[in-house]
Amino acid sequence: MEDFSGVYRECYPRVLAYAASHAGAQRAEDITSETFTIAWRKLDQMPSNALPWLLGIARNLVKASRRQVWHDEIEDIPITDDFVRFVELRAALASLSEADQEVLTLIAWHGLPAAEAAQVLGCTTATYFVRLHRARRRLKAALSTPNSDRARESWKTS
Amino acid sequence: MEDLMKDLAQAKPPEPEVDRERMERDLARIITLPRERSVRTLFLKRFAPLLVAAGVIALVVVLLPKPTPPVQPAGPARWWHALTRQWSMMIVGDPANPYAVFIDSKTDRWQSANQQITVLQKDGDVQPFSLERDTDPWEAAGRPAKVPQIGGTHLVRIGPMKPAVQKTDVSGFQMSLHSAARFDSLDALPADPPELKQALETIVGNDPYRIGSLAMELMASNVRQDQRQAAFELLKTLDGARFLGEVRLSEERKGIGVAIPAPPTFQFSGVETQLVIDPETGMPLVRRDMLTAAQHNLPANSPISVEEYLLLEQVTIDPIVPQDVPVNGEVESPIIER
Repeated sequence: MEDFSGVYRECYPRVLAYAASHAGAQRAEDITSETFTIAWRKLDQMPSNALPWLLGIARNLVKASRRQVWHDEIEDIPITDDFVRFVELRAALASLSEADQEVLTLIAWHGLPAAEAAQVLGCTTATYFVRLHRARRRLKAALSTPNSDRARESWKTS
Repeated sequence: MEDLMKDLAQAKPPEPEVDRERMERDLARIITLPRERSVRTLFLKRFAPLLVAAGVIALVVVLLPKPTPPVQPAGPARWWHALTRQWSMMIVGDPANPYAVFIDSKTDRWQSANQQITVLQKDGDVQPFSLERDTDPWEAAGRPAKVPQIGGTHLVRIGPMKPAVQKTDVSGFQMSLHSAARFDSLDALPADPPELKQALETIVGNDPYRIGSLAMELMASNVRQDQRQAAFELLKTLDGARFLGEVRLSEERKGIGVAIPAPPTFQFSGVETQLVIDPETGMPLVRRDMLTAAQHNLPANSPISVEEYLLLEQVTIDPIVPQDVPVNGEVESPIIER
């Protein structure tokens, strides 16, 4: 029980951040709570490095209630060049497949090393690197598409 | 390409703030849920006798010297954290037409060598409960907000309880909040049952129930595993004590228990105090007062007071106390003067 509560307190903020970024802040706490409830039930299976395993559980829960809320969250940011780049990146990222988004954000947003990100996605590290390379390429391509340019313009003029 | 990932990292959505109270509340709820048993556990359970026999034979063959029992030091953690849920029953109303109230709350206790912080009456509530089918004396009495104890001199206030925070600087280790027993060092307590009994006798006198109560409190404190085991063995040796063997608890949990006769309360006679522990860890799961004979329309073996140990752990995080509750303010007990 002590081990579980230690892992719970250590990993809770990161599971919450993962859930918030993929399912929205409003659902994040419920998903996090459900993640740890499942983890408790399957405590015998919990590895010593629990975070990737927990994020894997959270990922399945997020899939069941996926809802991107980026537009709600970016409204308060002042419109500067950084902001335009920010919107541009978000728009480009949103145009990618869910699989590509996950591959990229596990590293860029959740700070996981490649081996742990691979664990979350249930693939080998080598496969993860291949998928990461392709996802980066597609993100770069998305950033230079007319849609992205239009997004940039619309934010500049709004 | 690396710059792209850096840019993407900067486009990270804001991280949500952790609601520490909800986090701890969820943890307390989660760990009361039943756990799945792994295939390995089931396999071990099934073949445990065989494995034990094989182990014994192997030991005899190689004549291993008896290993020193493992001793787990109490550790340098800053706080001993105990989250417990208590509920108790009280008989109230008109003596000709009595009913019961359930007083239900949690206590969050953080203890270090020189400080104790306690959150009392957390999520507390008092609810009326009919002792007979088909009647609701509380409703019939017009749903009074305060109801008189039967056999007592006080009133009980129905409804939510106000949480309270108490912070005290104490020297040494105090047992429960209401206990006067205090130890300079828990580590120095003996791990031999008779010696431990002697040590406890010096504090509470030669009273089996008080010794038993203190031993139970000790088991929920920051003691070593061997001391906890000695306390459980001590309980079994007290006058009138019964070893209960396996005890099934709610939500598919189970443990092993011991019962000691308890003195009568102002409302109940024929009561025993049971302590149920997790046999694997030695940690207490539940302490409860049970009726040994039917009374007040309640059958024998009814619990009248239960303390459930939700968390017993060493932590290094700072105590989490409600921000809107004054420290060492008045405790608004649901038991009030008439």
